[in-house]
Amino acid sequence: MRASSLLSEALAVLGKEWTSELRSRVALNAIGLFALTTLIAVAYQIGPYRISEADRPFLLAALLWIILFFAASSGLARVFVKEEDAHTAKTLRLAARPAAVFAGKLLFNLILLLCLEALIVPLYCALMGFAVRSVAGLALVLAFGAVALASTATIVAAIIARASGSGTLFAILTVPLALPLLVFLIQGTRAAAQADAIAAVFPALRAIVSLAGVTLVASVYLFPVVWHD
Amino acid sequence: MTETKRPSWWPWLLFVWMVVVIWAAFYYAPSARGFKGESARIVFFHVPQAWVAVLAFCVNLVFSIRYLRRRDALDDARAAAAARLGLVFAVLATVTGSLFARVMWNHFWNWDPREVSIAILLLIYFAYFALREAVADEERRGALSASYAVLAFVTMPFLIFVVPRIYWSLHPDTIINTRGSIDMESRMLHVLIGSLVGFTGLFFWLYALDVRLARLRQKHQQRGEV
Repeated sequence: MRASSLLSEALAVLGKEWTSELRSRVALNAIGLFALTTLIAVAYQIGPYRISEADRPFLLAALLWIILFFAASSGLARVFVKEEDAHTAKTLRLAARPAAVFAGKLLFNLILLLCLEALIVPLYCALMGFAVRSVAGLALVLAFGAVALASTATIVAAIIARASGSGTLFAILTVPLALPLLVFLIQGTRAAAQADAIAAVFPALRAIVSLAGVTLVASVYLFPVVWHD
Repeated sequence: MTETKRPSWWPWLLFVWMVVVIWAAFYYAPSARGFKGESARIVFFHVPQAWVAVLAFCVNLVFSIRYLRRRDALDDARAAAAARLGLVFAVLATVTGSLFARVMWNHFWNWDPREVSIAILLLIYFAYFALREAVADEERRGALSASYAVLAFVTMPFLIFVVPRIYWSLHPDTIINTRGSIDMESRMLHVLIGSLVGFTGLFFWLYALDVRLARLRQKHQQRGEV
């Protein structure tokens, strides 16, 4: 009963996020346009022919995650910053439990990231000639990578919203925390590009899932402190 | 919480200990095989510095959690002092590692997984201080920076243990290697243990000074408020 009410609260927070996002489309526009602009710049300057065959899996995997990560960084902080800017954080504190607020905001960021990946990854593969041999492997890396990135970004967004709310601070705090994750994501993507067997991505996937797990657990424990400090 | 006052001879003992360690690192320990010149002697400084950095970040974690539970401003000061010293020792470990890399592989920086890991670790704790600078309210600063410190610490095992083992590394075997044994000549081991003790003592001495300063600052502020 308690769990189901927490779930319904979290879904209500998610619904509120979507409604307000569809009204303003700030995060969607920021993330989408940043990703498309960077992708076009990279594709125009490097394209499918300027990287040697041997270097392709490595460099193209790294470039893909740089585009995804920095595009995501431009919009994910908004979930909490906008509450402080609009002075709606106090109402939200009264309306929902911290765990539900965190879960709702995390789900919203996760959906944003999955939309971003769905838009950018096929385009990137087409424009850069990035041939992926294990599509299922890449899908797993993208899915768990989105969970891990969304967890880190959501808790850091909550922290900076209570600090000064600046986007610069979000980048300063998120980039170092996300760097180990990016290392594993690039390694997993490269493995998916190089090997037919899905098992090739498992070593990186194990690290990504563990990192996502510990970040999620730590975030759930820390969020009430950050939210009610 | 009152901290016991340490005897005044303690820093002098530490000074003598460190002098003996430095002497032993160059004259008592034999030359190591398989390294260029006497470059391997840097291990007696590099390893203890890296160890103290990790120890400092552990202390930072403990006091960050304690701050979140008790909201004592002194715990926040203790956490910050530990992180500050952790950063100093991590920078020193990076510099000594780079000097060794220059001698062994002709470059100060080789993008080795361990070099990348320590660079990320430095960035994380620089970010911790950037966050502290960004918050004016003391209590909020304590809560937010403690939360970030806990988040930062959970990524540390991945940086220290996972990343260096996934990629091929130039870095020599760690002291306790992957086989669980210590492959080191006994006199070298004596010096290394002595140095580890000395650097740990140095950390706690500097840490106690920093905390004492924070406590005095707090008292001064309270008097000003009265």
